[in-house]
Amino acid sequence: MQLATRKLLDRTFTGVGLLAVGLVAVALVAMLGPIITRGLGAFVFQETIEHRRFLLERFGRGDRSEIEAEWAEAQVAREAIHGRITQFESELRKLDWDQRQQYAGPLRDLKDVLHELLGPFPDEPKPVMPRDQYGPTRWDRAQVALEHVLFIEEYDYSDPTQMGKKVLIPRANQFIGTSLAPLFGELETNLDKMLLPRRTFYWRFLFDESVDAHLFGGIWPEVLGTLYLTLGAIVFAVPMGVISAIYLVEYARPESRLVGLLRTCISTLAGVPSIVFGLFGLAFFINTVHVSQSKSVLAGSLTLAILILPLIIRASEEAIRAVPATYKEAALSLGAGRWRTVVTVLLPAALPGILTGIVISMGRAAGETAPIIFTAAVSVGQPLALWEAFSQPSPALPWNIYNLCTEHEAVDAIRHVQYGMVFALLALVLMLNGLAIVLRARIAKRLRG
Amino acid sequence: MKTRIQSLLMLACGFALGFSGQTNAAKTTKIVIDGSTTVGPIAKAFAGYAMEKNPDVNITVSESGSGNGAKALINGACDIADMSRFMKPNEFEAAVAKGVLPVAHVVAIDGIAIIVHPSNPMAAITLDQIRDIYMGKATNWKQVSGPDKQIVVIGRDTSSGTYETFESLVMRGEKVVSGAENVGSNGQMRQRVQTTDGAIGYVGLGFIDRSVKPLKVDGIAPDMGEVATGRYPIARPLYMFTNGYPKLGTPLHAFVTLYLTPKGQEIIESIGFVPVTRY
Amino acid sequence: MSRAPTHNLAAARGRSLLRSKRANRLQHLASLAGHGILFAITSSSALAVLFIFWFILKDALPFFQLRGVREFFASTAWYPVAEPPQFGSLAIFVGSGLVTAGAIVVAVPLGIGAAVCLSDILPFAARQWVKPVIEILAAIPSVAFGFFALVVLAPMLQDRGGQMLAIGAWLVGAPVAALVIFVASDLLSARLPARRRLVGRLAIVGGLGGVACWGLANTAAALDAIEIPSGTNALNVSLILGLMALPTVVSVSEDALQSVGRELREGAYALGSTRAETLLRVVIPAAGSGICAAVILGVMRAVGETMVVWMASGNAAQIPSPWYNLLQPVRTLTATIAGEMGEADHVTGSARYHVLFAMALCLLTISYACNWISEHAVRRASRKLR
Repeated sequence: MQLATRKLLDRTFTGVGLLAVGLVAVALVAMLGPIITRGLGAFVFQETIEHRRFLLERFGRGDRSEIEAEWAEAQVAREAIHGRITQFESELRKLDWDQRQQYAGPLRDLKDVLHELLGPFPDEPKPVMPRDQYGPTRWDRAQVALEHVLFIEEYDYSDPTQMGKKVLIPRANQFIGTSLAPLFGELETNLDKMLLPRRTFYWRFLFDESVDAHLFGGIWPEVLGTLYLTLGAIVFAVPMGVISAIYLVEYARPESRLVGLLRTCISTLAGVPSIVFGLFGLAFFINTVHVSQSKSVLAGSLTLAILILPLIIRASEEAIRAVPATYKEAALSLGAGRWRTVVTVLLPAALPGILTGIVISMGRAAGETAPIIFTAAVSVGQPLALWEAFSQPSPALPWNIYNLCTEHEAVDAIRHVQYGMVFALLALVLMLNGLAIVLRARIAKRLRG
Repeated sequence: MKTRIQSLLMLACGFALGFSGQTNAAKTTKIVIDGSTTVGPIAKAFAGYAMEKNPDVNITVSESGSGNGAKALINGACDIADMSRFMKPNEFEAAVAKGVLPVAHVVAIDGIAIIVHPSNPMAAITLDQIRDIYMGKATNWKQVSGPDKQIVVIGRDTSSGTYETFESLVMRGEKVVSGAENVGSNGQMRQRVQTTDGAIGYVGLGFIDRSVKPLKVDGIAPDMGEVATGRYPIARPLYMFTNGYPKLGTPLHAFVTLYLTPKGQEIIESIGFVPVTRY
Repeated sequence: MSRAPTHNLAAARGRSLLRSKRANRLQHLASLAGHGILFAITSSSALAVLFIFWFILKDALPFFQLRGVREFFASTAWYPVAEPPQFGSLAIFVGSGLVTAGAIVVAVPLGIGAAVCLSDILPFAARQWVKPVIEILAAIPSVAFGFFALVVLAPMLQDRGGQMLAIGAWLVGAPVAALVIFVASDLLSARLPARRRLVGRLAIVGGLGGVACWGLANTAAALDAIEIPSGTNALNVSLILGLMALPTVVSVSEDALQSVGRELREGAYALGSTRAETLLRVVIPAAGSGICAAVILGVMRAVGETMVVWMASGNAAQIPSPWYNLLQPVRTLTATIAGEMGEADHVTGSARYHVLFAMALCLLTISYACNWISEHAVRRASRKLR
């Protein structure tokens, strides 16, 4: 082969390697990009007066007099719309039956979509469900609702052998020549006066309870459930994991067959699929040991604890092994016993490494879904107090992400909540991993000198 | 280093305590609800309403399927089992053997609507055609006098009561083709149909919105009126099961009889189901 | 626990340097007890896996007693609630295998490429940046991947699937074709006399390049024309699972490449090899078992993943036709367990409940086997290098 070709091949090889790394980075960005940008949308968005009103009425938050003044202002702007509807209804009563029938259907539809855009009309009784009590709380949802008011989405089925084509018909066409015709133009130009959108930073999204199945409010029960599950798993797994690591490094004879078996067991445990942990948690902790009557945070924590046990054992083992032998020798030569050496010398020296392992496994426990499906997670529940966690199930971020993006009756209306939840979970997990990276960098620096 | 770690741990503990402090004070009663994803919205809406009325109650709702609800009730793991089908004889036997006496409360009536993508020109379909499609005999809409488009058959996981109702009222013992996609819930079903041109699926009435197109079945439109008159062929009652009839005056009693009150009926209608009083 | 010996020691230190016989014996006993306790704790954490095996096995065996083995492994008729029920799981096994194979096709070339890059190509400073990226990828919870697959990727595949496939074909095909053409042109032109070599080579490059472009364009056009009826299919899941298995493959194979050591590399360089030749001919073969282990661990990650496949695979219990058609929905073992557990109740103790445990048992066996093979491979690798 020519030298030039070989060089070229070498360059291509380098290129392929870089391409691989580049593709990985691109994939990561492609995935995190939408999650982060749209996830932030749950926190920073244009809130309407309806959202401010909701916060005031539900959580007693905000300046009452100011919001009431704004509400009055919005009502004034809406008056024109409501007035037109009432006027049209009274005109309708004067028409003969046929003409009335002609407008009855379109008017009913119009009122339906107007409810979605502006909430209930002032002269109507207050509906029971919060979702019917308020108009859109976000300006982007209001835009969608406006689109539905202005246009009727229809499909052109003129050729029954082909799939129909979408056509948007202005709703105004249905009311040409009536007193309702100007309503649509007014709505379009004055919508911001009726809803008063304002950019807000709704950081309490993390700390508010959800209202009406996540259509309003925040994700606090889920966040709290995840924290309980994670901390619970750590509380159970860390002592066992660290002690096992100490035994394996300091006490066990490496050539012993029994110890070899133990090691095989631990590495097998690390490879067990997460859904199997879920089945095991159900069959063992709930159905056999009865740690709780049914699903509970406790059962979920225990299941997650077994899941992260091998991670903690491995990390602790490596950390303890990485302590220079001279430390141990010095301690032993000063007359310290083996246990004392471990507790006073090895463990403190290995602590940062162990902590790194713990932090990483916390991230793992927080993000796992499959083990908690059958053991801990519910789709709706209130935030629990600490003592209630022993006997009661709780919502948790990973499970509710699944639940909201598949099982919820209004999947599209709460996209921002779903993205917000994914963002919160990712932020939690990545923060923990960032912490681990920083910890590790510091250890490396210390070891280097 | 050590002190810093200690302070970090302290901080973590403080956080945990702070969290639990921020939650409401001890709930005196808890009501655990488990079961069908179809009844789920009703249970969730009722739960929201009841917890607002009576803040001393903590109500948790899981939507893990009718069968799971029955199982949980039999094991004493929940107070109310939401079910979109009646209990099976073997479930009754197991319950009685464990000293549990299931009592059914019919909270609402639901129709199962056959939905397609709105661009599909079909407007009506017959039960036989639906069966053919789900059996895999018809694979193109052409074969059921529709457009020339491959049919994407979407079904429900066998763990749902909706599946079982569909199975008994539509399939009548025939088997669903193995190539059918399966989804876990009504919401996901609607999502799959609204994003897939050639799709056909079935959901409870409450899940219909303008993003999908419900078909008339045997000439009857799936809407609340037709379900209420009993003319729509694929309809079923929705149940909440309790262990024995709940004691009068308890929060549990208030909860399972909520559907009889005007507020309860308004809630049921606003989520898109048919209140039993209209049936 | 074994605090006793230290107390004892302290006490002994207070009195005299020599310990009494009794104290000595006590300390011995205490240390034995401490040792025992440590061992008990360690073995209990190790025994968890045996517990898992036992509990799964206990509920899986009744299925095989009730229904036998043949139907489960040989039939594709999965109708667990029909009358009479059928539990043929072959299609589900094939589904699991298919998405795993797809994931491996994505993860292995990318993963090994990235590992080579990390261990031999990138300078140290850049490596410090790339490693966290891989770690972040490993840390992302599976439900976030599932959410992305269902909410972002599935609609994208459905709307622009053909175009994406075409772009993919160009991305993969073009570099490969370019490489092949250059090598082929070099080998062929080597036979020509020196003076006509350059012209001949250019001609060969031009000719082959034209053919390749034509072929690629045709393939891309064919792919572009494909309409994907449903975005929740095996391809979607394979891509995402590949991404999820990637960090495992990268980190394990990078370890393997690192452990080959400088001597072999320097030897190869000294003999005049380029970096590509050193790596391809010397380092990667030497690290073969380690890379093998990496691939197997990647397989394990893909087989055991639940949320992504449950949300985005379509869950159709069928063998796609033709079997390699990744554009059709499939069903996997893990998703079946997650989805069916709701209805399958142990109260009535039906075959339907036990079949899920039988599947879990198969998953466990697969992951155990993978684990065993990968450990074996790693052990062999380290022995060979020593």
